[in-house]
Amino acid sequence: MDELELLKKDWNKGASEFKNYSETEIQPMLHKKSSSIVKTLFYISIAEFVFWIFLNAFPYFVSDSYRKKLEVSYENPLFLVITVISLAVVFIFMYLLYKSHKLISSTDSSKQLMESILKTRKVVKYYVMFNLVLIFITVPLTLYFEYNQNLEFHDEILAMDSTQTLIFYIITVVTTGVLLLLFWLFYRLIYGILLKRLNRNYNELKKLEV
Amino acid sequence: MNKELEHSFVEQLKKHQNIVHKVCRLYTNNADAHNDLFQEITIQLWRAYPKFRGDSKFSTWMYRVGLNTAITLYRKSKRRINTQEFDTVEFKIKAEEYDDTEEQQLKLLYKAVHQLNDIEKALVFLYLEDKDYREISGTLGISEVNARVKMNRVKKKLKTILNP
Repeated sequence: MDELELLKKDWNKGASEFKNYSETEIQPMLHKKSSSIVKTLFYISIAEFVFWIFLNAFPYFVSDSYRKKLEVSYENPLFLVITVISLAVVFIFMYLLYKSHKLISSTDSSKQLMESILKTRKVVKYYVMFNLVLIFITVPLTLYFEYNQNLEFHDEILAMDSTQTLIFYIITVVTTGVLLLLFWLFYRLIYGILLKRLNRNYNELKKLEV
Repeated sequence: MNKELEHSFVEQLKKHQNIVHKVCRLYTNNADAHNDLFQEITIQLWRAYPKFRGDSKFSTWMYRVGLNTAITLYRKSKRRINTQEFDTVEFKIKAEEYDDTEEQQLKLLYKAVHQLNDIEKALVFLYLEDKDYREISGTLGISEVNARVKMNRVKKKLKTILNP
C-alpha cells in the first residue's frame, strides 16, 4: 500500500488530540505581536535608513568647524548637486520600500510571496549600495577640494616626496576600501542569516521550473 | 464594525482551527513551537482577513495563509532552541525498527515526513488534506505538471527514508 495513503487514513483521526481553543482564548491571540520575517525586515530597513541619514547629518550638528567647512563646500555647485541628489534618492528609496512592503501578501501563492519579500530586500540592498558608492565618490572629491582650499593640507601634501605621496594615496584607498568591504560583509551577514530559510525554499520552488 | 469583524473571524477560526493545528504538527517538533506557530498563523490570518472576500471557502483560504506563514513568514523564536524536541527528529531510521503492525508503521511515517524539507512538507500536507493538483499548484505557485512531478519525487523520497 502507498505510504501516503496509509498516512491519509490516520491524518484526520489524529486531529482530535489537538487542543481545542475557545473563542476567549483565540481573541487575545489576534492582538499579540507578530514575529514574522516581514516585520523584522521592515525594522531593519528603517534602521538602515536612519543609520545612513544619521551618519551623514551627525557631524554637521556636532562639529562647528565641520559645519563651517560644509557651508564653504556648498558654495561649490558640485557638492550641492550631490547633496540634493542623495536626499532625493533617500525619498525615492523610502517610497519604493513602502510600495514593495504593501505588495507583500500572505494570501498570494508561496512563490509569489517569496518573490515580493526578496524584492523588498533588493530595494534595501540597492539603497546600501548607493550609499557605499556615494562614500567611494565623496572621499576622493573631499580630498581634492581640501587640497585646493585648505592651505595647511595643501602645504603638507606639497612637502611630501613622491614615495610619501604614494603611501598617502595607498592608505586612503585601502582604508576606504576596507571600510566599505566591512559594511558590505556586515550587511550580507544580517540578511544572509535572516533570509537563509526563505532563499532555500525559494530555490526549491524555482528548481522545479527548470 | 471592527468588533463584528473580529467576532466573525474568531468564530470561523474556532470552527476550522484543526487546519492550523495540522500545519503546526507538520512543521514543528515540540509543543512550545506548535503553540508559537499557531499564534503566528492566527495573527497572519487576522491581518489578511479584511481582504478575504468569501469568494473562496474560509478553510481554503486558511490553507494558503497557514502554509505561507509556516514556510516563509514564520521566524523561529529563540526559546525554541532550548526546549526539548520530540523524538520525531531522529535522522536515521534503522531497518529493524520497521514493524508490520500499522501503528508502528504510522509512527515511522510521521517521523519520515518530518525529515522532508519545507516545500515537500507543504505538498504532503495538501495531499493529505485531499487537495487536487490544481489547488496544490495554485497554493504553491508552481505549475500543475511540476506539482505532480514533485509529488512523485516526494513519495519516492519517503520510500527511501523508510527503507534505506
